[in-house]
Amino acid sequence: MKRKIAGATAIALASVLVLAACSSASPNKAAGIGASTNGKGKTVTLWLVGADTPDALRTYLKDEFKKETKGTLNIQQQDWGDIVTKLTTSLPDANNTPDVTEMGNTQSPTFTNVGAFLDISDMYKELGGSKLLQSFVDAGKVDGKNYTLPYYFGSRYVFYRKDVWTKAGITTPPTTLDEFNTDVATIASKNPAKINNFSGFYLGGQDWRDGISWIFANGGDIAKQSGGKWTASLEDANTLKGLTQLQALYKSASKAPNDAKDSNQYIYLNDDDAIPGATTADKATPVSLSAATIMAPGWAHWSIGTKGKTDGKVTRTWDDKIFGTFVLPGNDGKAAPVFAGGSNIGISAKSKNPGLAKTLLKIMFGKTYQEMLGKNGLGPANSDYTSALGTDEFAKALISSSSNSKLTPAAPGWASVEASGVLEEFFSKIKDAPDLTALAKEYDAKITPMLNTK
Amino acid sequence: MSGAIRLGNRRRTPIKPSRVMFNVIGIVIALVWIFPVYWMVNSSLLPNVVLQEQTPTFVPFGGSWDNFTAVFAGGTFFPALGMSVVIALVVVVCCLFFAFLAALAISRFRFRGRKGFVLAILFIQMLPAEGLFIAQYKLMASVNLLNTVLGVSILYIAAVVPFTIWMLRGFVAGIPAELEEAAMVDGLSRTKAFLRITFPLLAPGLVASGVYAFLQAWNEFTVALVVLQDNADQTLPLWLRGFIQASASRATDWGQVMAASTLVALPVIIFFLFVQGRMTSGLVSGAVKG
Amino acid sequence: MSALTATPRRRRRILTPYFLLIPAVGILVLAMGYPLVWQLITSTQQFGLAQQFGQPAPFVWFANYVQLATDPYMWTVIGRSIAFCFVTAAVTMVLGVLIALLMGVVNRVVRIIIQISLLLAWAMPVVAAMTVWNWLFNWRIGVVNWLLSSVGLPFQDHNWLQEPLSFFAIAMIIVVWMSVPFVAFSIYAGLTQVSGEVLEAAQMDGASASQRFWNIIVPIIRPVLGIVLLLQVIWDLRVFTQIKLLQDAGSIASETNLLGTYIYQLGTGSSNFGLASAVSVFVLILTVAISAFYVRSLLKEDES
Repeated sequence: MKRKIAGATAIALASVLVLAACSSASPNKAAGIGASTNGKGKTVTLWLVGADTPDALRTYLKDEFKKETKGTLNIQQQDWGDIVTKLTTSLPDANNTPDVTEMGNTQSPTFTNVGAFLDISDMYKELGGSKLLQSFVDAGKVDGKNYTLPYYFGSRYVFYRKDVWTKAGITTPPTTLDEFNTDVATIASKNPAKINNFSGFYLGGQDWRDGISWIFANGGDIAKQSGGKWTASLEDANTLKGLTQLQALYKSASKAPNDAKDSNQYIYLNDDDAIPGATTADKATPVSLSAATIMAPGWAHWSIGTKGKTDGKVTRTWDDKIFGTFVLPGNDGKAAPVFAGGSNIGISAKSKNPGLAKTLLKIMFGKTYQEMLGKNGLGPANSDYTSALGTDEFAKALISSSSNSKLTPAAPGWASVEASGVLEEFFSKIKDAPDLTALAKEYDAKITPMLNTK
Repeated sequence: MSGAIRLGNRRRTPIKPSRVMFNVIGIVIALVWIFPVYWMVNSSLLPNVVLQEQTPTFVPFGGSWDNFTAVFAGGTFFPALGMSVVIALVVVVCCLFFAFLAALAISRFRFRGRKGFVLAILFIQMLPAEGLFIAQYKLMASVNLLNTVLGVSILYIAAVVPFTIWMLRGFVAGIPAELEEAAMVDGLSRTKAFLRITFPLLAPGLVASGVYAFLQAWNEFTVALVVLQDNADQTLPLWLRGFIQASASRATDWGQVMAASTLVALPVIIFFLFVQGRMTSGLVSGAVKG
Repeated sequence: MSALTATPRRRRRILTPYFLLIPAVGILVLAMGYPLVWQLITSTQQFGLAQQFGQPAPFVWFANYVQLATDPYMWTVIGRSIAFCFVTAAVTMVLGVLIALLMGVVNRVVRIIIQISLLLAWAMPVVAAMTVWNWLFNWRIGVVNWLLSSVGLPFQDHNWLQEPLSFFAIAMIIVVWMSVPFVAFSIYAGLTQVSGEVLEAAQMDGASASQRFWNIIVPIIRPVLGIVLLLQVIWDLRVFTQIKLLQDAGSIASETNLLGTYIYQLGTGSSNFGLASAVSVFVLILTVAISAFYVRSLLKEDES
């Protein structure tokens, strides 16, 4: 621990030095500066990643920022696929850095550890303090100081075909994980819809973000920290228990290819109308339904439903009689821990307008904006405003599944673990592994050094 | 069939039947090569739900322009198109000019360092670009050329010029210097001899190299990704990639993605069909003289 | 012509080539100089994200190279890349030459049809082309599986990207599809320099088609063949975009990495820029080595 602190201090010191060297021309001295409202003629750049933040929210931010500071807010949309590259090149560059940026919660520790963000501990209380989603706050913390804070959260839960489950003789959703495992295997073997390659539960071979719940639910984890050093823990007894269950699922319940990733699972749940000439009897052209159950982030519900048409555009309408949701149950009476999705947000250490950037954060953590997030199905960072999500089936599932959500390890090298695709690779090998323990050991040896690289 | 009828024509007898076969093979090859392009255009006219069927729809009956309308509604296509056109023009013009001068130097003159230069432009192409992003970013940031047409163009020209030199060098070397010298003996200056004799013979080479430079500038996206970070300054490949990724983060709308792809390919196709005539006519005239 | 006037003229002639080279050399130095030097230096340093954010980078000299040379995975990737490069370049060349020859013997209309379809394929932006190809080979709704299973083959829901071997077969098809137009056009242009009369004369003398090809056509188009082949080898060895976008669609990255995607994964993905630079330099050396023999003969030909 001592060494880690020393290292972190050195980094902090170095970044302060560099900062001082680079920003000697500009008057601000980073930390300690208060939120400024004098933005006349100035532009603050905000990077948002992906299209998740709806346009109405962007407009609100721009208007509100103009009102409070008379400055201009320039919102740049970046893509999830390139955000690491762009943060790597732009954040150290005082002339081109975004002032405020969103990043994936799992990317936060990597950049926070190298001093990419401004210390905003002084604002922590004002922005929501202990009301903010704790696991996300931790992902942005180094040595007790806050560098990034949660932006919004999402969560994963189960979507299923009520009609297919009923046909297979299962009328109530499972209440324990073991029950779930048996149910989906039964449905797969009964294949009540008589469809080729039918999955009781569709779980992609490389889909570790969903599969990890089986590890969590059995008390296992990917990595653990002791004495300032991270070690991969796939070979731990609890993790192995989860892996064994996963192997059984892959073998008996899922027909997903072993290279399938965590994307667009919902298409396997939908029916599509047969096009002219295609019938169910014709083997070469089955209907597209090919799974009774999937697990996906909450927003997937917009794409699940019966097909309709409005103004020539095809729509999907959720039908309670056909589709249902439930939160993946654990074996302890609670929900199984799921992988928390979502974003953090931070001010670049090289920002030339830290005062204005702080004002922007205040707007984003304010009641109005937090409630706007909730209304759009994005979990608000501040738990006071969770009710804004509403009370429908999806809001309930989101809140309940995220009550027990877990983040990936806050190891400094986590981003390289994700970038290397080693977890995808490991999960893809579970199904056909003759010896899971050996496989787990092999990958522990690969992952451990990555976890500790900076 | 027709070969049998024309058997009476003696001179052509050994050629005709195989010619028919060659024509058939040629058509098959053309179909194979064009199929993915056709598929893109076909799909861009069909609604997404039809595209999600396991049975493909080969002809866009009942298709519509809805996908294109939806793509245009984004409002970002035309700025990106403008950016791409300007960059492509700058790159093609500069590249051809620079490369032509250099090709002239290495194929018409013997000078010290010539071999070194030839090797250098060859080796530069062997350097993997995937490791250069950080340095390219730093370079552009240090001269304040991030998010500018000029910045991207400089990097593109440097990436394309070595190959264009190689290509033109072959064409320049293929034209006998004696032709020029003969013209000079006839009283023309070196420059005039070059312009009247060599340059026309070079036309196909210039067109071919220009096409290459244009394609590279039009299609490149990894360098652009690093150097163009502002949403307002996107090239078409960046725009397309952004479009695909935005679409994939919800439900991928294949119809719209294909419509967007078609829009990016369309200007190139038009440019090619325009240049194609010149390229063949250049080639034919070259063949006549050869 | 007196000696007095000849001297400045000669000097001008000696300087002319250097003037001609200025723009090309200038832009290369401007755009490539710094990145090249940076890469060389970085390859001898421990350079990660912390260094990118301003920490001093300690020199480790050849440690990155040693780490690579002793990593069996690196050698796997190298072997894979070389195999992929050779097979792909060979297939591209053979198809390119055959199509170029074919264009010479078909009638005008067919030739224009071939040319247009090759041009269209060539004109497809990589990102667009990869999207289409990914989709053609999609395991669930791909046209290829549909075609194969409708003629009775068991390819319904077959996943092409799952097995590395079929992954590389798909990658090769795509790369060949994209590169053949350039090869075919270049060689076709080269073929126009082959005189029809000579060929006819040879045919009258009883030379077979293959004799005519190897003894008359090949020697004339050899310079074009040489350059095109060299370029194919260079490009196919560092192929990146196609593999990356295919990997995004499916397959297990570590089993399908080639040098390009490996560098990308090390550098951009894992922020290990020191190691990534070392691999880049290594690839440069490797390419030079592979093409050295060839480059030498090219240069020799050039001298004569």
